[in-house]
Amino acid sequence: MVAGGVVTVVLGFVVIVLLISWFSNPPFGLGNAPAQPVAFPHTVHVADNNIQCEFCHRNVTKGEAATVPAIETCLFCHKNVDGATVAAQAEIEKVRTAFDTDTPIDWERVHRLPDHVRFIHESHIRYFTDNEIPVKYGINGEELTQMPDVAQTCTICHGDVGNKTEVQPKTGQSLKMGTCLDCHRVNNAPTDCTTCHK
Amino acid sequence: MKLTRRNFLAWAGLGAVGAVACEGFGIREGELQVQSSVRLPEDLVRGNDNWYASLCRTCPSCEGIVIRVMEGRAKMIQGNPYFPTNEGKIHARCEGGLQALYHPDRIPTPLRRSGPRGSGQFLPVNWLPNGMDTLKGALQTNGSSSVMITAPLRGHMAVLADRFAAAIGGERLGFEAIDNNTYRAAIKNVFDQDSLPDLDLENSQFILSFGADFLSTWVSPTRFGRGYGEFRQGEHRERGMFYQIDSRFSMTAANADKWLWVRPGQEGQIALSLAQVIVSENLQADGVDVASLLGGGADILNSYRPEVVAERAGLTPEMTGGDPAEFLKDLARKFAARQPSIAIGGGSAGAQSNGLFNLEAIYALNHLVGSAGKKGGLKFNPPSPWADVPSSSIVGSLDDWTRVTEQIRSGQTKLLMLHGADPVHGLPDSLQLREAIAEADDLFVVSFSPFIDDTSAMADLVLPDRVSLEDWGDDISEPGPGYQVVGLQQPVVNPLFDLDPLSFPDVLLTMAQELGKESDLPWANFKAMLREGSDALFNMNRGSIEAATADEFWNNMLRRGGWWDELRHGPTTVKPADGLLRTIVAKEKGPEFNGIGTASIGSDSFYLVPFAHNTLLDGYNGHLPWLQAAPDPLSTVTWQTWVELNDTTANRLGVKEGDILRIESSKDSIRAVAYPTPAVPPHTVSVPFGQGRKHGSDYATERPGNESANVMDILETTTVNGTGSLAWAGTTVRVSKTGESVSISKLEGDARAVEIGLMPSEEIIKTIAPENA
Repeated sequence: MVAGGVVTVVLGFVVIVLLISWFSNPPFGLGNAPAQPVAFPHTVHVADNNIQCEFCHRNVTKGEAATVPAIETCLFCHKNVDGATVAAQAEIEKVRTAFDTDTPIDWERVHRLPDHVRFIHESHIRYFTDNEIPVKYGINGEELTQMPDVAQTCTICHGDVGNKTEVQPKTGQSLKMGTCLDCHRVNNAPTDCTTCHK
Repeated sequence: MKLTRRNFLAWAGLGAVGAVACEGFGIREGELQVQSSVRLPEDLVRGNDNWYASLCRTCPSCEGIVIRVMEGRAKMIQGNPYFPTNEGKIHARCEGGLQALYHPDRIPTPLRRSGPRGSGQFLPVNWLPNGMDTLKGALQTNGSSSVMITAPLRGHMAVLADRFAAAIGGERLGFEAIDNNTYRAAIKNVFDQDSLPDLDLENSQFILSFGADFLSTWVSPTRFGRGYGEFRQGEHRERGMFYQIDSRFSMTAANADKWLWVRPGQEGQIALSLAQVIVSENLQADGVDVASLLGGGADILNSYRPEVVAERAGLTPEMTGGDPAEFLKDLARKFAARQPSIAIGGGSAGAQSNGLFNLEAIYALNHLVGSAGKKGGLKFNPPSPWADVPSSSIVGSLDDWTRVTEQIRSGQTKLLMLHGADPVHGLPDSLQLREAIAEADDLFVVSFSPFIDDTSAMADLVLPDRVSLEDWGDDISEPGPGYQVVGLQQPVVNPLFDLDPLSFPDVLLTMAQELGKESDLPWANFKAMLREGSDALFNMNRGSIEAATADEFWNNMLRRGGWWDELRHGPTTVKPADGLLRTIVAKEKGPEFNGIGTASIGSDSFYLVPFAHNTLLDGYNGHLPWLQAAPDPLSTVTWQTWVELNDTTANRLGVKEGDILRIESSKDSIRAVAYPTPAVPPHTVSVPFGQGRKHGSDYATERPGNESANVMDILETTTVNGTGSLAWAGTTVRVSKTGESVSISKLEGDARAVEIGLMPSEEIIKTIAPENA
C-alpha cells in the first residue's frame, strides 16, 4: 500500500510537470492577445506608415533578443505626432506620461521561451535573408518561393503582425521543440542539443 | 473508491505535493511581462558573453589572451590573468588581432592564378577537387625539391611542419624579417643556453641596455614592460636606475634616466670599456672568477680603456654631458655598485656586421656583476616539457634566404610553400627573391595565407588558412618566465558564413594521409595531435593543473589557456667558458658600411637605423587598420612611413616637417615623410619597418598620397659575421628633397605646451584649492 502510494505521488508529480510544460507554450496557436497597458496598433505603424520591424525592435538583427523598444523610441515621433483619434491620443498620452515620469511600461508577453532554451533572432534573420542560399523552407516545411526580407522573415514564425491591431501568436502555429527541429532539419541547420539548449 | 481515513490522508498528501509542484514548476512572477525601459540605451549590450582563453598571434611572443565571445562572435581581446608571461597584460597588437577575423580583405575561398605570376590575378576554385588535388599533385611531383617557408614556429606546429617537410623530402625554414639569430647566438656563446633568457627587471636595481627597444618591440615587450613598472615604481623597493645606449631615441630610450647616443656598431667597444673599468678597479661581484673570464692577464682589456674607446667610438662631451671617459667610468661604477644589475643588448646593436661581437661583449658584463641566472639578472629557461617538441623558434638567416633564392633561380627548388611568412616584403629587395620567383618557369608556388601579401601575390595556388581565433595551436613561450610554460590556442568562433578557410595543419595532415605518410604523421587532425601532447603532460603528473582524468586535464588546460610548472626552472648557475672575454675580444671588428656616401656621413649622407614599427613590427600586421592607426609612441605618426632626422640637420638641409624626402642607398631609393626632431643623432636617420606592401589589402599597400614605403627595398645585403643574419642597421643612405610636401598624419600638436597664465596678455584669474586659501 505504501509503495502504491509513492508510485501514485510520483506519477501525479510527473503528470503535473508535463501539463505545466505543455501549456506554458500554447501548442496549437491557442494563445490569445493579452490585454496590454498601452493599446499599440501594429497596423498603424507597420502597415500604414511602413516603419520597419528593426526600427523599434532594434536588436532583432543584431543579437539574441528582438527587444521591445524603449519609451524614448516612441517619443522620436510622438513628441509631435498626437494621433488621429481621441482614443489614439489617449494612448499616446500614456506613453508621454510614462516618459515624463520615468516609469517603464510593463507589456504582457505574447511569446515566451522556456528558461533552458536559447533562440537567437539575428542568426535566423541572417539565414533567411541570405541571397546566396538558393532554397529555404518555412517553419512548417513549405518551400519559400521568394527571398524574404527582414519583415517577411519575422512573419515566418510570428505571423502577419504588421496587419494586427493586437499582437497574438500566429494562428495555428506550434512553436514547440518538434517544430524547431523539423525546421532545422529541412533547412539543413544544426540539430545538436546545445544549439538551442543552454 | 471508498472514502476511508487512510484514503483521505493519501489524497490530501497527493494534493499537497501537487500544490507544491505547481508552485515550484510554475511560471515565475514577472515572467509573463516584458518591460520597456524609459531611455534608449544606445550602449546597452544585450545577450550572454563567454570568455575563452587562447594565444595571441600578432607577434612571436604569443601572449596569453582571453576572448569575449557573444552569440558566436568574438568581440574583445584582453590579457589572460593566469598566463605566466604576460599576467593579464597585453600589447596593443593583441587587440588588433580581432580585425584579422573580420577583415574585409580575407580570402574567402581557394584561388588559382589566372594572369602572369605576380600580377595578383586569381580565380576562385573549390577546395575539392581543385584546391586539394592540385596541392596533392604538386607534392607528388615536386615534394622532394620543395621548400616550405613558415612563420617562426614552436611547439607542436613546428613538429608537424618539420615532419611533413621531411616526409616529402623537402626543407622547412622559419622566416622572420628582423630575426633574433644573432641574439640567440650570443646567448649560446656567452651562457651556453639554447633558449632565450627572461629578464628579471622587476628585481633589478640597474638596467643597462644597448639598442634593445624592450618596452616596445624587442622580444617580449609586454612581459618586460610589466617588470619595468615594478623596477621603477614597485612597492617596498628603491626606484631602479636605467641607462640606454642606442643609436636611435626609441620609446625605451625615452624612458631611460640617461640616453647615450652612439655611432652604430660601437656598442661592443663601450661594453668592453665598462668591463675594463670593472676589472681594473676590482668592482666585480663577490665570487666572480675574473682570471678565468679573462683567460690570462687583464692586459687584453687595455685597449678598451675609457679614454681610448671614447675617442675611437667618437664620443664627445656633447654626447655624454662632460668628459666622455669619465662618463664611461662613472657608468661602470654605478653598474657594478647597484646590484643586482643587468646588461642587455639587441635591436640595432646586433644588426651590424659586428653585431655578434657587440652582443657577446654586452652580455658578458652580466658575468662580471654576477647576474647570470640570478635574481634581478638574466633568468634562464628550461628545455621543453616534451622531449621531441622544440621550445625555440629557429628561423633562417640571410645566408639561408640567399641560398633559397639561388635554388629557385637555378630550378633546384620546384615547389615553394608559404605559411605565415612574406619574404618578398621582408627581405632586402636587392636579394631579388621577387624576380627569382617571377621568372622561375618550373616553380609552383602555394600560399596558405588568409590574406594577399607580396609573396602570396606570386602564388599559383592560394589555399586560405584559418586565422588564429578560428584554429587550434600551442606554443612554448620563448622567452618563458624562467620555468616551463605551454600555451594552448583554441578556436573561439567558427569562420564567418561567407568564408571557407581550412586549417593549415589539418591540410598538411590530410595530405600526409593521401600521400601514404601516415607513419610520419599519424594524427587525424591537429587537435588530436595537441590532445596527445596534453595527455603526455597529464601523465607527467606535475605542474599547474591537477586532474583525475586526461579529459579533465585537457578541459582545465583549455580553461586556463595552458599549463606551466614553476618547479621546472632553468639553471641558476652558469659557469662561463674559460677565457670568455679573450674570445670575445678576438672577434672585435668595426662595423662595415659598404653603401653610398660612407665618406660624407653627416653632410648629406647618414647611417640608416631602421626600427621595428611599434604595432606593425616588420610588416606582419600591416593589413590591420587599428594597428596602422595606433600612433607611434614618440612621433605619434600613423599610417605613413616617416623618416626621423635631427632638427639641426633638417634646418641645414632646408627640410621641414611633412616634406617628402628621397632616401637613397646604393641599391634603390624610397620616399618618406620628414619628421625632424632634436632626439635623433646628427649623423643618423631612422625609418620604421612594416609599411609599403606592393600587393594585398589597401591598408598595407603603397597608395597615392599615403607615403607608405618599405625600407627593406633600400637595405644592403650585409650580413652579421658569425650568424649570417641580415645586418639591417648596416646601410648608409643619401637624403634629398623631392620638392613635394604632405601633411604628416600625427596626433602630436604643433603648439608648445606651456602653462596658461604665464604670458602678460593672459588675463585669467587663478584659483587655488580651498584648503590652501
